[in-house]
Amino acid sequence: MSARPRGLLRVRPPLRALAAALSLLMAAGCASVPTGGRVVSGRPVDRSDQVDDPYVRLVPVRPRAEWGPAEIVSGFLAASASFDDDQKVAREYVSPATGWRPGLRPAVTVFQNRDQPIVVKESAAQATVRLEGDQLGTIGPDGQYTADPKHVEVTFQLGKNQQGLWRITELPTEVRGGLLLTKADVDRAFRTVNLYFFGPDGRTLVPNSIFLPLANRKDLPTRLVQALLVGPTSWLAPAVRSAFPSGTRLRGAITISKDVATVDLTRQARSGSPERMSAQLAWTLRQLSEVKQFKLQIEGETVTPEGVGATQSVRAWAANAPDGESSEERSDPQSAYLIGAAGHLSQLSGDLPQPIVTGAAGQLVRPAVTPDYQEVAGLSPDGGQVLAGTLVAGSTDIRPLLTRSDPDARFTAPSFDRNGVLWTVETTKDRSTLWIRQRGRAPVRAAHWGLGGRQVLALRVARDGVRVAAIVKMDRRAQLHIGRIVRRSDGGIEGGSFLPVSSELQDAIDLSWRDYNTLAVLGRAKSDSQPLPYLVPVSGGAISSLGVGALGLPQTIAAAPKSPVLVGTRSSHETRVCRQRSYRDQFSEWVCAIPGSDPTYAQ
Amino acid sequence: MSRRGCAPLRGCAAVMHAARRVVRRGLRASRRVLRRAVGRAYTRWRRSIQIRVVTSTLLISAAVVAILGAFLQQQISAALMEGKIKAAMLQLDEGLSMVQRDLGGPAADDDGRLERVVNALKARSGPSGLYEIYIRDAKNPYYDGYATNELRQESVPQRLREELRRGPAGARDYTFGRLSYIGRDREPGLIVGGKTGQFELYYLFPLTQEERTLTRVTWALLAVGAVLMLLLAAIASLVTRQVVIPVRLAAQGAQRLAAGRLEERMRVRGEDDLARLATSFNEMAANLQEKIGELEHLSQVQRQFVSDVSHELRTPLTTIRIAADMLYEYRDTFSDPAVGRSAELLQSQLERFEALLADLLEISRHDAGAATLDAESLDMRDVVLRAVGDVQHLAERKGSKVVLQLPGEPCMAEVDRRRVERILRNLLVNAVEHGEGEDIIVSCAADRDAVAVAVRDHGVGLKPGESQMVFDRFWRADPARARTTGGTGLGLSISREDAQLHGGWLQAWGEPGKGSQFRLSLPRVAGAELRGSPLPLVPPGVRDSRAVYAELEAGE
Repeated sequence: MSARPRGLLRVRPPLRALAAALSLLMAAGCASVPTGGRVVSGRPVDRSDQVDDPYVRLVPVRPRAEWGPAEIVSGFLAASASFDDDQKVAREYVSPATGWRPGLRPAVTVFQNRDQPIVVKESAAQATVRLEGDQLGTIGPDGQYTADPKHVEVTFQLGKNQQGLWRITELPTEVRGGLLLTKADVDRAFRTVNLYFFGPDGRTLVPNSIFLPLANRKDLPTRLVQALLVGPTSWLAPAVRSAFPSGTRLRGAITISKDVATVDLTRQARSGSPERMSAQLAWTLRQLSEVKQFKLQIEGETVTPEGVGATQSVRAWAANAPDGESSEERSDPQSAYLIGAAGHLSQLSGDLPQPIVTGAAGQLVRPAVTPDYQEVAGLSPDGGQVLAGTLVAGSTDIRPLLTRSDPDARFTAPSFDRNGVLWTVETTKDRSTLWIRQRGRAPVRAAHWGLGGRQVLALRVARDGVRVAAIVKMDRRAQLHIGRIVRRSDGGIEGGSFLPVSSELQDAIDLSWRDYNTLAVLGRAKSDSQPLPYLVPVSGGAISSLGVGALGLPQTIAAAPKSPVLVGTRSSHETRVCRQRSYRDQFSEWVCAIPGSDPTYAQ
Repeated sequence: MSRRGCAPLRGCAAVMHAARRVVRRGLRASRRVLRRAVGRAYTRWRRSIQIRVVTSTLLISAAVVAILGAFLQQQISAALMEGKIKAAMLQLDEGLSMVQRDLGGPAADDDGRLERVVNALKARSGPSGLYEIYIRDAKNPYYDGYATNELRQESVPQRLREELRRGPAGARDYTFGRLSYIGRDREPGLIVGGKTGQFELYYLFPLTQEERTLTRVTWALLAVGAVLMLLLAAIASLVTRQVVIPVRLAAQGAQRLAAGRLEERMRVRGEDDLARLATSFNEMAANLQEKIGELEHLSQVQRQFVSDVSHELRTPLTTIRIAADMLYEYRDTFSDPAVGRSAELLQSQLERFEALLADLLEISRHDAGAATLDAESLDMRDVVLRAVGDVQHLAERKGSKVVLQLPGEPCMAEVDRRRVERILRNLLVNAVEHGEGEDIIVSCAADRDAVAVAVRDHGVGLKPGESQMVFDRFWRADPARARTTGGTGLGLSISREDAQLHGGWLQAWGEPGKGSQFRLSLPRVAGAELRGSPLPLVPPGVRDSRAVYAELEAGE
């Protein structure tokens, strides 16, 4: 017997090596798509409402040879909603003699709806076309929208050109320098963007939302910065200051390479403060998702502001945040204040209110706390008095600050701004007064109050101290308005220029600033039977509902940046404060587990 | 006028000419360089098996890799596009069903509804998304539908629109094209379109990612192909080296063997074909060495035999000589005159026999390498004069006159007097013998390195090829001719051996009817190498005729 096995499978060593190599190759060749392995995690992306999200453009058609005057006007109106190539197609409808060139930031007359154009008069070479419609408002060349609802009738003059084709020879006065668009056109072709300017304290940035035509996404950064350099809109201009010296322009389009935008300014910018200009630019540019960092240049030389490098992140300059620096740095929700079940001012700890002020002196409703947690204010239970006092445990020095002058009058819930100034409105059914109380001084009336002839249901000053949101009774409907506060050089304070924010909400009852861009409002949308919490963008975008589930009857609302929205509700016998199960999820369920009412946040 | 007009033209022409010349020269130079390079490459190609094998491996593998690469590329591209088209069609179906659901009802307020639909559809469009959308309402004359983001409507090619318009309701078509944008570069894209009712819906998928993938695959294929080719070439080079190096060693061995180094052998390694080649080569070399050794030995024996025979003959010859001398002395006393005549004949033939024997001994000494050079510094003119003096009476007897052309200054050289005199004597006797009574010119010349003596006769001359044969042993110009002067037939051979012993040349020239010339060239210093001769081999005056002469360089 041979010692070595002599089987079929016995192969010689070189053959064995070859077989091994072949099997290895086959294994390598077969491995293609991985079917297992470790979990690879990506970075979280905040998909907020970015201005450069996908959008839709209307594709215009050029005028056809067989079209008559009415069709030419229809085509012109449709084509003027397209901003492509500097409105080349729309300009084909217009005789060159009119010199119609709306440019990149045209004035726009916004129609709710418009009728078909009607030919009023037509001869061989001349025609007059009339167009009727309901105007909603206008957008100025600075991007400011002004509501101005009325019925409008405009006429177009048309003539035949040398080729025998109808062309518009004379535009109505409303359209001379601008466009005539429907609301749908504006929603499609315009974006509301925020420009940021410094408030009166010289530190806080105030957003100024404007309508900017979105001609194409590549030019958007350039357009945005150009709009910023032009300055605030007429509405906000008296209340804010821009750090850019007047006459400052861009030296060319903004170039973006690898998330870094380069902003090159003309020499006028040398007299400005690089830090303040950078802060304005950073906050304005952070609305664009493709810009993560930027470089500020003046005449081609990169400027390095103090405290940050030459290449600045758009997330820098948190100290100038419209909601205050703490709102940017905070990661945990701040603790809320409320009126406990026993009627005492309490601080919320978990789901339990911890009373701070007890005793008869602490009886107040609708409390407000200064951002430095030093002072507390509130209303007497009948709303006829404004009470205020220092916020210390067991404090008993809460005293009346204001008492109504008219038995029919009520005060709105007091509101503190970042500097501890108290704002409240004394209002009756047909008149109102704005009261201001600087810390340590006596309350004064505002030098000018834009809503003097109307009933005001609620008033909240934004954290920037410049903008003010109010619920105003108008045409028997409670509407949401945004106004601005101007500090005059003589020390007087004006509150005015109120503009409606949203027409979708009716019967708003309470509001609170969620952040500089959003209001949390208790109101009724079209189909609601009772007021519900909604998030309303200040810039005028679409409102969105907040949370699901039963809430009882909501009474008050409190909101703060990066903190849950709290709703004070009343159901048959008791009052409760509700909050969402997970406040980061907009549609998470409401949970009403906190006994108490009238929640508020300090900051 | 015309001349003035001509001047610049001529200048121009000159410049053109110069330029053309320069260009031509440059072209010629480059062509030369190229040709040389090609020639060198071709030579290397022809000489080296390794280069040939490596080059053909490279070429063949390049072709294989190119074909394989193209095939793979095509497969990958097809697979990618197939997947993309499938996904695009599904997307289009979804979009179409949404359009049908939302817009399928009776036509009223289409503008708003169309916009709502496209707003709902746009969610995944844009640069961060997958596609762009273009939707149009065929019935609305005032605008051409809606497009998402920066997409231009021209991105939808006319051919797709027409195909869709012609097709039945619910038809879906796709094509490839270039997507154009506002403010952005065009990019390749897949365009799918469908129709439901009056609405046309197009999805435009940019193929930039696929293009990038394909580019990456192409680069990877190219890199892999290049590496594979180089690897194959390296393998081929290595394998050929294994074969070529033993072959090269064998070639070197054979060369050395051919050069006379018979002890050369190849190293035998292993037991493969090349080892067998080495073994055979070694056997062949051994056989050759043996045979050549045998032959050398035989030749040695033969020479020894000649030498021995010559020596052995001398002893009886001396006795015969004494007897013959005696007979010759008393030849007058013989009564029969015929006997006297015989004695004379015996005497003369005996002298010839002695001379022959002496020459044989001399040549066998040369063959055995026993000849030695006894060099001393001499004036060649004296040597010439002595040699001429020796043959003077013979020349006079033949009616020839010896003309001397000697230089004024001495021609000093280190030579063996006996041997050089013998050479000259031989040449002169030869010239007198074939000189037909004409003049014999003896010239002598010297330069820095060499001296030369030329002996010219005007006899019958030499036939072509004979100028080499004259130095052969026992060679006769005319075998029928009687030997009158009693030459042994070895004189010129011995002379040549003597000249070679000096490191010099002995050369002959001749032409029928023009006589012949023999030239002896010797280095001035014994043992120095001779590079040229101070005298021409062909005498002046016959230069123009087509000279048939042999340059026999004794040194070689």
